[in-house]
Amino acid sequence: MASKVFTVRNLSFAYGGQPVLRDLDLELHEGKITTLIGANGCGKSTLFNLMTKNLKPDEGEILLRGGNIAGMRLKDFAKEVAIVHQYNTAPADLSVEKLVGYGRTPYHTMGLSPDPQGDEEKIRWALEITHTYKHKDKPVSELSGGQKQRVWIAMALAQDTKVLFLDEPTTYLDIRYQLQILKLIRQLNREYGITILMVLHDINQSLYYSDEIIAMKDGRMIAHGLPEEIVTGELVQEIYDVGLAIRDVDGKPFVIPV
Amino acid sequence: MVSSRKKVFSFAITALGLLALFLAAVNTGSLKVTPLELFKGLFIAYSENVATIYDLRFPRIFIAIFGGAAIAVSGVLLQAVMKNPLADPGVIGVSSGASLTAVLITAFAPTLYFFTPLFAFLGGMTAFLLVYSLSWKGGLSPLRMILVGVAVNAMFTGLMSAFNSGTGSSYSGAASIVNANITMKTWDDFQTLLLYVVIGLLASLFVLGPCNLLALEDKTARGLGVNVTRSRIIISVIAVLLASISTAVIGPISFLGLIVPHIARLLVGSNHKVLVPYSILLGAFTLLLADTLGRTIAAPYEISASVIMSVAGGPFFILLLRRSRQGYGQ
Repeated sequence: MASKVFTVRNLSFAYGGQPVLRDLDLELHEGKITTLIGANGCGKSTLFNLMTKNLKPDEGEILLRGGNIAGMRLKDFAKEVAIVHQYNTAPADLSVEKLVGYGRTPYHTMGLSPDPQGDEEKIRWALEITHTYKHKDKPVSELSGGQKQRVWIAMALAQDTKVLFLDEPTTYLDIRYQLQILKLIRQLNREYGITILMVLHDINQSLYYSDEIIAMKDGRMIAHGLPEEIVTGELVQEIYDVGLAIRDVDGKPFVIPV
Repeated sequence: MVSSRKKVFSFAITALGLLALFLAAVNTGSLKVTPLELFKGLFIAYSENVATIYDLRFPRIFIAIFGGAAIAVSGVLLQAVMKNPLADPGVIGVSSGASLTAVLITAFAPTLYFFTPLFAFLGGMTAFLLVYSLSWKGGLSPLRMILVGVAVNAMFTGLMSAFNSGTGSSYSGAASIVNANITMKTWDDFQTLLLYVVIGLLASLFVLGPCNLLALEDKTARGLGVNVTRSRIIISVIAVLLASISTAVIGPISFLGLIVPHIARLLVGSNHKVLVPYSILLGAFTLLLADTLGRTIAAPYEISASVIMSVAGGPFFILLLRRSRQGYGQ
């Protein structure tokens, strides 16, 4: 059994009296790609925001390798967990290299780097692995959607963390770029051992690219496990309230989305 | 993107322009001295002309230089905090909040005169918090903020005018703040300004990194370990300090904190590590230019620098409003 990176216990959260998460328990396993799936409004974004310290739990706790993240300084958290949010903006004249360099911020004190050369190596690695090195001097605003997304991932990679969170990293991209991003995520996991948690909209891409799936409904986790073990017609019916056929493709379940 | 050559060029030209303008400002009026005479009179031998200029013109010139720098930087910082290129200490009421308290102190508690800048700061902070909290509705909408700012500004300006009229403009110290008149300023005024402006500008140099990171989405900045709320508070306090202090001494100047950062961004880009130092130079230049023009246009009468700024800034602001897209720095 792989060790646990994140442990969520009895997590509850409400927005203005409206409960969004109720008594949620889950675990993220080291070295795995885990994907959160669920219908709109099931609480997966809220869970994502709670696990990234953008929201504070009403009840329960979120542990990162045994330590409660509520007590962690943002800066220390940023050295452990890097996050790529769904929606991003940057000044029009900011260069790719400068932006990716922002990923080194958690390691700086009063804006100064204790190890500029180390920073440079990490930034270069992040640019190369995401195939954005050739664009490093261009302003981010001049890149295509797929290139931009890779640059935001590069910034997160420059944080040099063992855990990477991605919130709908393929939204707004056409299928070619979606696959590029998903393959990059898998490469980061397989080659560099980065533990990944993501929220994905496309259920089949989730099933195909994930080691584990966490299915949510009405603020609760209803299933957690290997895609081929947990995904059935009944589960899909329960999550999305539609009856869909399931086929087997390359040993993975494939939901026929019509 | 702005090339580094263009940045260096912009710095050099603006610095030279400021020097030339300084010499021109020294010579604007009935007394004239050449730069050589000026240098001799200041550092080598006593000269009556130079001594007169030193007592009468130098304080206002230096006040314009430091005040201009302070207001411009205040604008840059407020824009970073509010992610809104239209934020300006004058437009959103920080300056009028500061001047109202400065006027009240000058009129009712002249013994506290020494603390006027601090009270002005409290007034500026009050206006800022009003605008910030009233325009917050699950996020800061640039337009709503400007609208609330206009209302807050109008209210404070109205109170100030009411006070001024109601007392028959008999408090000359107060009236000079209301009218943003720097004609009669002395070296004492300059010293007050200098102390706080230097503190504010030095402090601003320590928040340039956070200013850059605030241009990202809040969640993204937080993900990089930035305490977004704390950064906003610190940067706002510095911005309000700079605007309030200059207002306490000069009076409210509108649009300067808007125009200078905008032109500066076009010339040196949006990286605050370059933008803030350049805005110091360009802000100093712009307010000194406004003051010097005001002394020249209708000589021997004077038009105050704030009037010049309002007349020139109004159309500029409308232009920016029309051109501004949804977000900040996009």
